[in-house]
Amino acid sequence: MFDRLRAFHRPATVAAALRLATAERRAGGRGAFVAGGTDLVVQGDGSLRWVVDLSLLPLRYVRRRGAGGGWTIGSTTTMADLERSAALRRFADGVLCDAAATAGSPQIRNRGTIGGNLANASPACDLAPPLLALDASAVIAGGAAGARKAAGGRRTVALERFFRGPGRPALNGGLLVEIVIPAPPVPRGGRAAWAFQKLGRLQSDIAVVNAAAGVIVGSDCRCRWARIAIGAAGPTPLRARRAEALLVGRPFDRDAAQAAAARAAGETRPVSDVRATADYRREMSRVLVGRALDECLERMGRDPWASW
Amino acid sequence: MGELVIRATVNGAPRRWTVAPGDLLLDVLRREGYWGVKNGCETGECGACAVLLDGEPVNSCLVFAAQADGRRIETVEGVAAGDRLDPVQEAFLDHGGVQCGYCTPAMILVTRALLARTPRPTEDEVREALSGVFCRCTGFKKPVEAVLAAAARLADARPAAPPAGRKPARKAAAR
Repeated sequence: MFDRLRAFHRPATVAAALRLATAERRAGGRGAFVAGGTDLVVQGDGSLRWVVDLSLLPLRYVRRRGAGGGWTIGSTTTMADLERSAALRRFADGVLCDAAATAGSPQIRNRGTIGGNLANASPACDLAPPLLALDASAVIAGGAAGARKAAGGRRTVALERFFRGPGRPALNGGLLVEIVIPAPPVPRGGRAAWAFQKLGRLQSDIAVVNAAAGVIVGSDCRCRWARIAIGAAGPTPLRARRAEALLVGRPFDRDAAQAAAARAAGETRPVSDVRATADYRREMSRVLVGRALDECLERMGRDPWASW
Repeated sequence: MGELVIRATVNGAPRRWTVAPGDLLLDVLRREGYWGVKNGCETGECGACAVLLDGEPVNSCLVFAAQADGRRIETVEGVAAGDRLDPVQEAFLDHGGVQCGYCTPAMILVTRALLARTPRPTEDEVREALSGVFCRCTGFKKPVEAVLAAAARLADARPAAPPAGRKPARKAAAR
């Protein structure tokens, strides 16, 4: 399948990976970065002439961010790593673990990485909705835009702007090295909840629609902050900002959740394809966002400090 | 052009292979005689090509051979000790978990990985572990029974284990 591949590079550092990719691009011929291969090999592009393997880079980690809290996740961290991370399980209701656990079969999750999941920029990417619901950013090393900056230049792109279209990540030839998740702005006495929902024939299928919600309420039970993100319902994973706005400032309850879900469905731009029709996707967006918000409500209600 | 020499440990034995940059691990393993690694779909769907890479199940059809350099590979050929079958293999035979046998090597391997991590899995955990290996003959009932039986047999055989039932129960709750 990859008969024309003539070079398989295995660098040990990000700088070396970028240098190799730059040299290969100058020499001409198509090539790619590869980590788990669960997308690249399946895509089966027989015209590839070179590959830079990321397996040996020191990018497989989940770390607490120093100042201000939050997390950083190295781009070659696998879906299985995320799914089993005890630290992430305790963060944001384990929403990232839940999403990672649905990204294909166990063998796929042992190979597929967070970086590959995002950098393929599939609208159905399972990690995008929870990461969008956590205000995550992508850290990109090198590439056309980064090259103009200082050597070893890195830029940080809000995840929402990282997805430019189906299969079009904002990498400009750079390498996605890290995902940054800021500490959620939970006020004193407030509570927060997150949830992930996915629809496929099987849980491990590519999503027909997926969605994540995050809600923060103050001690007065009014919503202070809301994030609703939906995948496979537009050219990119998207934030339903008008639905979020509908929640903020009001008491967070079932009625508010259902109203927001209905509005979120109106913000999708789905297509019809082999997996589902556009109408079905729009309707399922409403259902999944509704379920995710209900789950958030339930999680807050189960909190021993709940006042209602 | 651009041949690579890779070194890997297969079933405990060091191997040195010359591969092309575009060779996939599945093809190299079969070329080298590990025919228990089955070529089913070549798109990472069916799981018949599963091997253990450093102890974890992966679909060898999606791994470049070059990426196996320096790694530990386990195929079904390494599971039995000579003529003595592994308890997992015996359980598959005893419980009728094998029909045509095409998916069996992969099932045996993912089961071994599961039991190494979770010695007393719940039925849900077993189903999850087997979910990436498609059987088109028997369905999954008998393989699931076989895995649960193998887990019980191995746990009974393990001396001085922690109080039965407590640790797995905690694990299940944490998932």
